[in-house]
Amino acid sequence: MNGARDWRGLLFVAPFMLLYALILVFPLFRGLWLSLNRVDLFGDGRFVGAANYVRLANDPIFSTALLNTFKVTLMIVPVLTVLALLLALALNNAGRGAALLRGIFFSSAVLSVTIVTLIWRFVLAPDAGLLGEAWKAAGWQPLAFLSDPHLVLPALAITTIWWSLGLPMLLFLAGLQQIPHDMYEAAALDNASRWTTFRRITVPALRRTIVLVVMLQTAAQLQLFGQSQLLTAGGPSGASRTAVLFLFETAFGRWELGYASAAAEMLFLLILAVTLAQYWATGRGREASGAR
Amino acid sequence: MRRLLPLLLAALALGSCARGDDRTHIYLQRFFGECGAEYGGSTDVAKAEGECGIMTALINRFNAENPDLSVDVNVVAWPGYPQLTAQMAARDPPDLVTMHEGVISDYAAKGLLEPVDAYLAQAGISIARFTEASRQGVTIGGRAYGLPWDTHGGLFHVNTALFAKAGLMKGGKPVLPNSAEELIAQARQFQQRTGKPYLLQSNVGDPAYAARNQYSYMMAQGAALFPDARHIRLDTAEGRRVGAFFRRINAERLGTLNMDTPAAIAAFVNGEGGIYPTGTWMIGSFQKEAETPGRPLYASYAVFPYPRLWGRPLEFVSGHAWVVPARQRSPRQRAAIARFFRFMAAHNFDWARTGHIPAFQAVLESAAFRALPHRADIAPLAAIGRPLPTNVQRQSAIEGIVGEEMAAASTGQKPVAAALASAERRVNELLSQVN
Repeated sequence: MNGARDWRGLLFVAPFMLLYALILVFPLFRGLWLSLNRVDLFGDGRFVGAANYVRLANDPIFSTALLNTFKVTLMIVPVLTVLALLLALALNNAGRGAALLRGIFFSSAVLSVTIVTLIWRFVLAPDAGLLGEAWKAAGWQPLAFLSDPHLVLPALAITTIWWSLGLPMLLFLAGLQQIPHDMYEAAALDNASRWTTFRRITVPALRRTIVLVVMLQTAAQLQLFGQSQLLTAGGPSGASRTAVLFLFETAFGRWELGYASAAAEMLFLLILAVTLAQYWATGRGREASGAR
Repeated sequence: MRRLLPLLLAALALGSCARGDDRTHIYLQRFFGECGAEYGGSTDVAKAEGECGIMTALINRFNAENPDLSVDVNVVAWPGYPQLTAQMAARDPPDLVTMHEGVISDYAAKGLLEPVDAYLAQAGISIARFTEASRQGVTIGGRAYGLPWDTHGGLFHVNTALFAKAGLMKGGKPVLPNSAEELIAQARQFQQRTGKPYLLQSNVGDPAYAARNQYSYMMAQGAALFPDARHIRLDTAEGRRVGAFFRRINAERLGTLNMDTPAAIAAFVNGEGGIYPTGTWMIGSFQKEAETPGRPLYASYAVFPYPRLWGRPLEFVSGHAWVVPARQRSPRQRAAIARFFRFMAAHNFDWARTGHIPAFQAVLESAAFRALPHRADIAPLAAIGRPLPTNVQRQSAIEGIVGEEMAAASTGQKPVAAALASAERRVNELLSQVN
């Protein structure tokens, strides 16, 4: 490969690289710079070094928001992954009924967060909601999903799982259709049970898809925002305030752009760390299973 | 064909030309919702209903009466400040904007709003014509930063049928308390006789409710909420008294705990409780229910300002105003804004049909206003209403913090003293960061 050909190759990727640099790399560094300043939305500010980060470290509202974010992510990702996998297994056939059900289960994914939260408010509201009425009909006291500090995060998790089920299900369906059918035939000839077939053939073959789903969903749910803002406004008493809602309130409600940028950088680093940790852990798992 | 094509193109280009638009354009940005489908072509203001309908018909009417002007309207989702802030940061703000009076100080302090004294003078509007609450709401450092358009605040919306059942009607009017102890006693009596909650409260996702209670009853006790523009004082004897009172209401289950705003509205409309403390903006909807035979609220609705529980009858209020973002404008545009101000001032009564208190003293005292349902009962709000000091910035964010903490205190999730201390710390930290 000579030098001239290298330059021609660069020309092909240049439009993408320029756009990437403009809308991703530049804002990343700009955000980093803003986080080192006490600055409002109109640019009036001054350099304060790490002061915003020190403030964040001592801010109980931010630490609660981070904790809430991790809790709700832990509530969502495992359940979502298992449910999506089960649905994909159930609907992985060529019948019309399965196709219809695939469409129905995917349909929630096309709704906007506003519609999703509106629907779930009607379900979860204790006084006139669907669950509240069902509870009352059974003679029980309705659960205050939207105002009990112990129930708001599960409420956000249920809403999000319902909304987000479609894409992981499709990914698993795509993964299932990649598994050669003769492996299942061989298992059937060996009289392997359905559980053994699932454990020994399906799960190992889907390992990459599972990792992909877990990593994508972890990164997505660590940025959960709309459900928290619209369903509970972060309440009660901050019990459902997530990290992104915190930085939205800080930037646009309080005009503290520097402080919000510092929170955004912290969140970015945390998402990066969690994603890399998952990647590392699953890579080690693969190596270990390969060694066996 | 080769000759025909250029001819066709030329005809198309000429056909696309319109007459030059020599009208003066002003760009108006507002909230209050979008109702173009119902009122898009309406100029009959008297027939319009609700905030959105009346506002849309008013602007249509202004455009119809001023053919040399064109008000181009952009409707934003409530409250629209993130968009406005972005427009200002991009140095391309609208000419006229609807703004809550508590937000004016944020933009005025940065020189992003023009003082409107010159526009008011050109429109022939004297500040002395505003009500006290409206005058205070738009004046910063002796200069007016907006045309006040209304005063709005908390009201006790009352189900009189349930009050009658509870034995709390006298001379055709609901008996409202005159002290905190009286309220507790009446609430217990109401609950015993009707089996329903005395207060329907929107405690979920509505920090404004708890903040309004805290501000109003601390002000009534003479507490200085903001000793200066950079500090709030909540953790005081007055603050604890108010916090403990609302906590007691909830501890005794005299009010609902788990309702958000739509649930509380639905409960009130369906006759599920005695009083719904919410704003002026709900009067129109509730009155409509009260005039519809067969509805649970039929002929059973009254409304009053928050009752005095301690000290003086004072209440926290805010208001809507028309503000003028700072930018380059032609003399014709400036004259157009003055004409818009004059028109809106002349139609302040139409706006008062929404339920809000008019910004002009003459409208407030007019027979037409008093003849509207319940307006004589709520008119005192203009005199007893007090906005927060206009030199305090970030009032919207402060309301969110105070409301969040006090809602936690009243629903028993936090001790009152801890909530007050936390609110005070958070607000003071926020104000210390204002550049």
